[in-house]
Amino acid sequence: MMRRTWVIKAILVVSFLALTILGGLGLYEQRRFDIPIVAGPGVTKVVKLSDYSQGLKGTIADTLVFILEGKEAGGKALIMANTHANEPEGMLAALIMIENAVVDRGTLIIIPQFNHSASRNTKPGDGYPLYFEIETEWGKKTFRMGNRDASPLDQWPDPDVYIHYPEKQLLSFIDARNTNRTWPGRPNGLLMERVTFAAMEIMRREKVDIAVDIHGAETMFPVTNCIVAPEKSLRIATMAALTVKAKEGFDSHVEPSPVGFRGLSHREIGDHAETLPFLLEAPIPFLDQPTGPKTEKFLLDGKDPFLLSLARKKKLFVPYDESGWPVEKRVGQHCSLTMEILRQHAKRVPDRAVEVRGVPRYADIVKNGVGSYFHDPAKAERSKIYLN
Amino acid sequence: MVMIFYYVISAFLAVLLIWNFIREKKNVEDMALYLLVLVPLVLRILRVK
Amino acid sequence: MSGQIGIILGVMILAYAAAKAAKLSVEISMFLSAVAGGIGGALVRTPSFGQLFRHLVEGSFTYLDVILVFSTATIFMAIISESGGVNYVVRATVRYFYNKRVIALLLLMIIILIPGALTGAGSISLLVVGAPVAMALGLLGIPKRRVAAILFIVAGLSAAAPPVNIWAMILTAGTAIPYVGFELPLGIPVLLLGTFTVLVLGLRKQAATTFEKALKGMPEVPAKMSWWRVLIPFLVFFGSVLAYRIWPFRFPVLGLPLEFTLSAVAAWLVSPKKINILTLSRDTVKRLLPLLATIVVVGMLQQVMTATGVRGLLSFAVISTPLVLLILSLAVVIPVSEGVLTYGAAAVVGIPLIWYLDSIGFHATVAIAGLTLLWPLGDGLPPTALIGRLSVMVSEYKESYWKFLRSTWLPWLLITIVGILMIVFSARLEFLVRWSM
Repeated sequence: MMRRTWVIKAILVVSFLALTILGGLGLYEQRRFDIPIVAGPGVTKVVKLSDYSQGLKGTIADTLVFILEGKEAGGKALIMANTHANEPEGMLAALIMIENAVVDRGTLIIIPQFNHSASRNTKPGDGYPLYFEIETEWGKKTFRMGNRDASPLDQWPDPDVYIHYPEKQLLSFIDARNTNRTWPGRPNGLLMERVTFAAMEIMRREKVDIAVDIHGAETMFPVTNCIVAPEKSLRIATMAALTVKAKEGFDSHVEPSPVGFRGLSHREIGDHAETLPFLLEAPIPFLDQPTGPKTEKFLLDGKDPFLLSLARKKKLFVPYDESGWPVEKRVGQHCSLTMEILRQHAKRVPDRAVEVRGVPRYADIVKNGVGSYFHDPAKAERSKIYLN
Repeated sequence: MVMIFYYVISAFLAVLLIWNFIREKKNVEDMALYLLVLVPLVLRILRVK
Repeated sequence: MSGQIGIILGVMILAYAAAKAAKLSVEISMFLSAVAGGIGGALVRTPSFGQLFRHLVEGSFTYLDVILVFSTATIFMAIISESGGVNYVVRATVRYFYNKRVIALLLLMIIILIPGALTGAGSISLLVVGAPVAMALGLLGIPKRRVAAILFIVAGLSAAAPPVNIWAMILTAGTAIPYVGFELPLGIPVLLLGTFTVLVLGLRKQAATTFEKALKGMPEVPAKMSWWRVLIPFLVFFGSVLAYRIWPFRFPVLGLPLEFTLSAVAAWLVSPKKINILTLSRDTVKRLLPLLATIVVVGMLQQVMTATGVRGLLSFAVISTPLVLLILSLAVVIPVSEGVLTYGAAAVVGIPLIWYLDSIGFHATVAIAGLTLLWPLGDGLPPTALIGRLSVMVSEYKESYWKFLRSTWLPWLLITIVGILMIVFSARLEFLVRWSM
């Protein structure tokens, strides 16, 4: 009898170890997987976010900041992507800019993994793939699929309710790890508040004119396929949306940033710095709830039969057909809109212009694919490769 | 620094689960459940996830 | 695609039914159902076989913090209970209010409401104060089945009660609506429905007891027990919760598990009786095991359901229903989704539902409040039936589970009607949100 108990226990322990080790290994590796970024011809300096706020030094929340300076003096623009690391189109657009953009005038500052901890986190319960691959001319480039929120390994525990600084608005406990709720942040606050504070410091110290925060949003979410802008950015946002519609043939409407909802980049950046903030949303069907399996293919092509059926019942906020909403369209929109916002700003304030070339537009990316703008790290100069 | 307490709480809980698992003599289902609950705790303590 | 996903869903249901038929526990059956669903999905490579273990392990993290809250809160309450504190309070309530039945019932209702309102979990209410309140209700001459029914409904309401309502928090976080303005839209219905429940189920005295007999039936309290000894641990708890609310930028974020741990230490220090904290904690974890295992397994189940598309199919089915039918069907869909997924239901069904209702002119905050009155009802439904099982456990009711569930029908019906009316008239009730802020 005694013997039997021990045999059962041994079997159970072996099963437990197998489950834990085999299941845990993938998660362990994802957190440690680095994406090589090949700094393009325009990159003049690469610094760390902690250079602007000591509180990030030595933490996993510290992240690379790519600086592209033009020969001529002008304005400054900050591009942030992976604020939500499960909306990867922003990061892909930012990497295309880092690897290809050349700045003629002014300065472009790009943070491709803004919530770095979240990019090394996964979303329990949501069954995402751990990675996704983009086809390039030289093979496949692999990226981590992150989470909306920072990892509890880096910021734990959550409060029972998150109290926004400085407005004291009550937000959901989980938003304490969401870098689009912790703006404008504080130097010694929660780790994610230190991340947004450091970005605010970039904007204040470098006198940044324009900040673009790039996201993706569900097709069933009313605030999708749009530019969110506060009062002071509205004119530029509207002009940018109208111009891309007329010249490049894709839609993106303008949503005013609500005054009463705190912690968001498009609200707080404008309220706490001279910078004009813009938040870009492109539809990412993968994040919708009523969809089929959460596969890598679906993440990239955005095709889903359930969403198609719901679109016919007019329950989506974007047009949706058999072609889905592929990553090329999403990344293309982000690149075009970002460049158009810079152009509209240059037209209004010529001495603070940021002039950029080399960034492909919507039609180019839809035609050539996202991967054709990434350079082979194996062939690049070692000093040009950054792991992020 | 509060985070350290959370690893201590998790470890305390893990020890209780293991202790109960060892003491359990008859109920095979309970043995299995102790180990199932242990999965996320152990991986958190090891800072895997 | 829906055919393929439907088959996987069928496989999961079959696996669950087979496991139950083999007389396995709910938790193990759910685990086997998750594994079967994963294997079923892997046959069509959604997800691939190589990812199966990863999905199970990753899913087990979904509610890790809830596990810590449950464990620390229960150990805290076990110490209070062991030290005689709980009996002390219930004894006082019965002594002072035995002949004022309505007041006694209302006080006991408030006692159940508080822990759940603060933590967002009705199970905490039951684990913390369930047993002594059940005893007090019994002494007031209420039969066990009705005691269990009162505990179940009021504990469910406590989870919905402000300030912490986890369903509403999951929904607001997922729909980008601020978690503000819920105090009145949740507080008023919870108090009214709670009062209705305790009066309907508790006002009639069935067993013939006298005051003396009632008092004699109560367990003895250690002689050195006093109000201070009972209050200090709770003051530590409420103090640490309130300190962050009052000084959010100076007081560190402690989180519920640490707040409960500190209160537990305080309770241990002021206990008039020596308590062996290790054996007490060990026994508490043993008692909690089914609950903890359910939480872990539900996370796994949720992850497998999403990776295979089953979760999406269910969500799709809800969203594609025509509006009037949809609103009527909420009476069934919401509790059943809770019974299967617990808190995961708020994300699966709730988020797309709120987006949809919001887009056609419903007031999101009031609609969320209405929905979160319906979810706790599902905590009495299988397969999980978390709160139902706990209610039965702490009230020591031994007969059929279904008989117990049937006796909740009147409050159940009223809560359903109130919740659905709140959703339908959400735009007109918008003033409740304004007054809360």
